[in-house]
Amino acid sequence: MSSSKPSAIRDLPMSSNQTSPVGEAPTAGGENPIRDAISEAISEHKVILFMKGTPEAPACGFSARTVAALQALDVPFAAVDILPDPRIRQELSAISDWPTIPQLFANGEFLGGCDIVTEMYESGELAGALL
Amino acid sequence: MPSPDEIKQRIEASIPGAQAEVEDYTGGGDHFRATVTAAAFEGRSRIQQHRLIYDVFGTEIGGAIHALSLKTQTPQKTPTP
Repeated sequence: MSSSKPSAIRDLPMSSNQTSPVGEAPTAGGENPIRDAISEAISEHKVILFMKGTPEAPACGFSARTVAALQALDVPFAAVDILPDPRIRQELSAISDWPTIPQLFANGEFLGGCDIVTEMYESGELAGALL
Repeated sequence: MPSPDEIKQRIEASIPGAQAEVEDYTGGGDHFRATVTAAAFEGRSRIQQHRLIYDVFGTEIGGAIHALSLKTQTPQKTPTP
């Protein structure tokens, strides 16, 4: 039994209403631990939202709207607050090739930002994409 | 600080055949909403369509342009006379 989490994962300001195991630690002394931690978080959580603030206290209207769509579908999701460290946003955008926040991932794939998630919610596509 | 008209013109200049409607929806000059119609969007996912527009502005997104809310469509959905 191991009680140590990869330090980069532990450092991501993550809140989750799912319990999920923490996987393999990124290689110690890796070149880019924050990017590794983000990639790992995306692969480990079925639905994960990178946002400003937290689901309970969103710090931006776009993040709030995206949280509301997920909550309206009653979908469990993990959330990462990107505000505490500017490198999180920088590395996240490098991974997703997407410049804005929030960013929603499901099953390891980037689904979109607030506009796309809202459109998918309104068209009824979102629930299927989160399965 | 970019104006809605400047954003409209830059989108239309960068994406061939695009027609853009842009509004400053907070009145503060940094939150914009754009509806863009372009044949170039055909065959592309919504994510790819939005990326085409974000690419016009590069690092200005998140900088001078704090927010650019997007709606994209292809001409078929809104036939123009």
